[in-house]
Amino acid sequence: MRNYKFISFFSVWALLFLGASFSWAELKVVTTTSDLASIAKEIGGSLIKVDALVKGFQDPHYIQPKPSFMVKMNRADLLIYQGLELEIGWLPTLIDGSRNPTIRLGQTGHLDASIGIPKLEVPAGEADRSMGDIHPYGNPHYHLDPENGFIIAQSIFNKLSELDSANAAQYQINLDHFRKRLKEKIKQWKSRMDKYRGAQVVSYHNLWSYFTNRFELIVLDTVEEKPGVPPTTKHLAKLTNKMNRGKVKLVVQATYYKSEFSNRVAAKTEGTVLTLPAFVGGTPEAKDYFALFDIIIAELSKTLQPTSLR
Amino acid sequence: MKSRTLYALFMIFLFSPISAWPASQFEELEKRIQTLEQEKKENSAPSSSTATGISRRFNPAISLNGLFLGTYNSQGDYDSAKDDRTELEIQEVEVRLTAYVDHWLRGDFTLAIEGTSGIEVEEAIAEGLITQSFSFKVGKFLVPFGKHNQLHTHAYPFIDLPVVSKEILGEEGLNEVGIGMSWLLPTDWYSDFTFQVLDGDNTNQFNGPAGSDFAYLIRQNNLWELNDETTINFGASYVYGKNSLAPSNSFDNETHLAGGDLTVKWKPAGREAYKTLIWQTEFIASFREQTQEGWYTMLQHQFAKEWWVQGRYSGYTIPHGSNQEDKNQWSALLAWTPSEFSTIRLQYNRLNQATADEHQVLLQLNFTMGSHPAHKY
Repeated sequence: MRNYKFISFFSVWALLFLGASFSWAELKVVTTTSDLASIAKEIGGSLIKVDALVKGFQDPHYIQPKPSFMVKMNRADLLIYQGLELEIGWLPTLIDGSRNPTIRLGQTGHLDASIGIPKLEVPAGEADRSMGDIHPYGNPHYHLDPENGFIIAQSIFNKLSELDSANAAQYQINLDHFRKRLKEKIKQWKSRMDKYRGAQVVSYHNLWSYFTNRFELIVLDTVEEKPGVPPTTKHLAKLTNKMNRGKVKLVVQATYYKSEFSNRVAAKTEGTVLTLPAFVGGTPEAKDYFALFDIIIAELSKTLQPTSLR
Repeated sequence: MKSRTLYALFMIFLFSPISAWPASQFEELEKRIQTLEQEKKENSAPSSSTATGISRRFNPAISLNGLFLGTYNSQGDYDSAKDDRTELEIQEVEVRLTAYVDHWLRGDFTLAIEGTSGIEVEEAIAEGLITQSFSFKVGKFLVPFGKHNQLHTHAYPFIDLPVVSKEILGEEGLNEVGIGMSWLLPTDWYSDFTFQVLDGDNTNQFNGPAGSDFAYLIRQNNLWELNDETTINFGASYVYGKNSLAPSNSFDNETHLAGGDLTVKWKPAGREAYKTLIWQTEFIASFREQTQEGWYTMLQHQFAKEWWVQGRYSGYTIPHGSNQEDKNQWSALLAWTPSEFSTIRLQYNRLNQATADEHQVLLQLNFTMGSHPAHKY
């Protein structure tokens, strides 16, 4: 009798200890950015549990590899990241520290969402740190072109179906629903931005290339002289002249930059500084991938001047 | 027949969606085709490595750290045995090489060159995962005793070591050949447990006479995220080993090293690049035929994107016995950090000790080039 009690007590105790590492019915997905999380949630629905490491109002270049992230990643079945060295400063340390064999490079739980994305601004020739904080494989902010949403969604769908083939049919339904909705929204966004085609803007950091490419805006120059390097007075003067000559009156920047330099430029050009969310969650209203563009386009529409069509 | 086919094709074209595409969509596709053709061209030249055996694709990532230092010391100008007297020197050059060995092992080497001659292998590590949540590490490495001991020279928060580390662990720190494993505990907060078997060579604390006089480390480390902005890290470490003293009736030749560390870090939400506040405190004690103990506490404040101001206090004592000692040092530092890869730091030290007090001014250029792994949090 005593033996049984002892054994059952021991097994309950052992179970408690193992309880934390049981994987439940849903697939556990960890993404780096909130945009990947938003799209993953659309495809996975209630069948997955998604966690984004970076909040939308944080600069993904300056994230610290906090051990608390390792805990989330240790329990994850799938890691999704934007790639193109956006997360190179911190993701490798996190992958190692998470001690999770499934999410490492080459394993099934590892997804680089940049695969299949048509990349902009891939440096021709040698890339060097003397050029500032450049990304040697291209501009990594590709989520800001909503057409790339289709490619990201497809990659995530392929991976989820591979890991959880039992639910592939449901993922397909979710994917089709997402594609349909994104197609409609892109049509709306394009028609709204139609009258601004060819409009020139200045951006603080070279963040918006995919957006301006899609909606046919032109980035005249950046307030930053080189990526990650604060501008000199000389550069600001040159920029102000350029803006005045071209009658460019709008400076856009992400929420996580201070607006000191943008304000200086705007003051000399009778311009406006527009702070925009660069990721889902960049502002509280940009709560998913669709809302992100709703907000950006709404804000731009308030400030841009209509251009004559090309 | 031919004209019918042509007619059919024409009707298909007329009614096909392609004809409804706007001009810009054609241009877009044209651009994409051009990019693809270019990529294909660049990647299609065959490599010669099959025949020559010479390939660089799998070479390790390589990075270099340069630490250039100018020191002024108010004492010991003519004392050539003094390692921190007034001089201009290459404090250290570090070469770091990392690569995946194969599907289960990764290699990580650090070569340290102090001054301009003599390459030392500071770390030579092979590491990997035993299974989920269990990692292993083997080779020569900076032992995870407390927080500061794990840092390479270029990553020191100040230009020099705190007094307590220098005195108790030595200038090289606790740097041992060993094998260890680390377990990520199944808790909601980050918690790990590390156990290592070390060769026990450290001349300050170990270096027992028998080859089998290994040292043993356990460390438990926790990190709590209070909110998006603040984290608290608390760790405890203990190392046991034999030392080189001949045991007698009044004492044995065992060393017990114990350490506790507490680190609080803060960064404002949405403005992480512009401000940081770090407060770190460590207690270190060595219990053997004599007791050595001490601590340091430091505050680091990034007050602008490129500027840091820091302060540190470190104390060290041998409270009893014939070697009684009492030393402490106050340090203040200002750093200009134009990028994550370079910094110029100016530090002032005031060392209070039984022999003459020392005032030091140090100016350091500290930079990294190449593909360097990210530092631990």
